[in-house]
Amino acid sequence: MTHLTVEALLSLREAGLEPGDASARAHLDGCPRCRAELERLHQRVARLKALPALRPSRDRWPQVSARYRVERRNRRQRTAGLIGLAAAASIALGVSLGPRGNPATNPGEQEIQAAMARSQALENALSRYQPDQRVLDGRTAGIAQELEDRIATVDRELEMADLLAQQARDEQVLKLWRERVGLLDALVDVHVTRASNVGL
Amino acid sequence: MTGTQLMDSYLLANAESVVARARAGDEDALEELYRAFEAPVYNLARRICRTTEDAEDVLQETFFEVCRSIGRYREEGSLWGWVRTIAASKALMRLRRNKYRDTDELQEEAVGQRREDTALRMDLEAALERLSETSRAVVWLHDVEGYTHDEIAGMMGKTPSFSKSQLARAHQRLRRWLGEEVEG
Ligand SMILES: [Zn+2]
Repeated sequence: MTHLTVEALLSLREAGLEPGDASARAHLDGCPRCRAELERLHQRVARLKALPALRPSRDRWPQVSARYRVERRNRRQRTAGLIGLAAAASIALGVSLGPRGNPATNPGEQEIQAAMARSQALENALSRYQPDQRVLDGRTAGIAQELEDRIATVDRELEMADLLAQQARDEQVLKLWRERVGLLDALVDVHVTRASNVGL
Repeated sequence: MTGTQLMDSYLLANAESVVARARAGDEDALEELYRAFEAPVYNLARRICRTTEDAEDVLQETFFEVCRSIGRYREEGSLWGWVRTIAASKALMRLRRNKYRDTDELQEEAVGQRREDTALRMDLEAALERLSETSRAVVWLHDVEGYTHDEIAGMMGKTPSFSKSQLARAHQRLRRWLGEEVEG
């Protein structure tokens, strides 16, 4: 007579019926030896469950809380950094709006200077934030990458604008610098929005 | 009420308010969680890991994770069930990291075989300790903690049939080592 394997006995304990369980049960009904084996299996499991609980000899809470505190402080600093970044961005906007409305000099040139200053301030704010050293989620990283690509395109167009005649050049350069500021603004926004999405 | 929900009320009477405070970042509440679940988490980790140091590290990693993600705990499940699954995953992760140790198992088994021949009857603790790390983890998670083969497979990154065969292996060995061989 072929007795039940350990696998077959274990399978009988499971809630769902496995193929082969019906014939295993039939065997079990007529085989005292396999019934004894199943009983031993039950007892073994009962003994495992009854093993005394092992306790840690050292308290690990100080390590857990210290590490958690460090993480929380880093998170708070990150948040503060982003708030600072947003503030820097709005100061940059304020500065850039300043020179506007002085009609004595060439308005085209002044507006270009203003846009350039604003672009520079935004870029400084961004570099202080060190976006290269931070991890973004996939979607945000994609948006940031797209904005950076568009800024690079604007930079190439600015180089080419130099070849244009004065009047056309000023118009084109002003348009490009303003576009650049808009893109940088959006890039700053992406980083700030990302932070608020994380819920810090 | 499930077994793990019963454990909740047994381990931590006012679980709901403690969780609410812990979510708000209250460190005392986080410590209360630690004190409530420290022993069962350590026991689980110790039964799966080879050394007390590994088990204590798992205890620490588990509660660091609990502190960070208590905001993501959904109350429909039991708190102990949630903490326990974090602990089991951390313990299994540690086994994977220490996998090289398990390669000694075959050699160790040969030694064990010789010892069995001398009909040395081991006690259950010693027998459990002798199992390969994977077999011991499966037998503990399945037979004591009550995880299904599907759940264990999910946590281990293996198939349910792998979990089943590891359990069968564990029982074959335990049966032999405990001197339960049936005569005839
Ligand atoms: Zn039989």
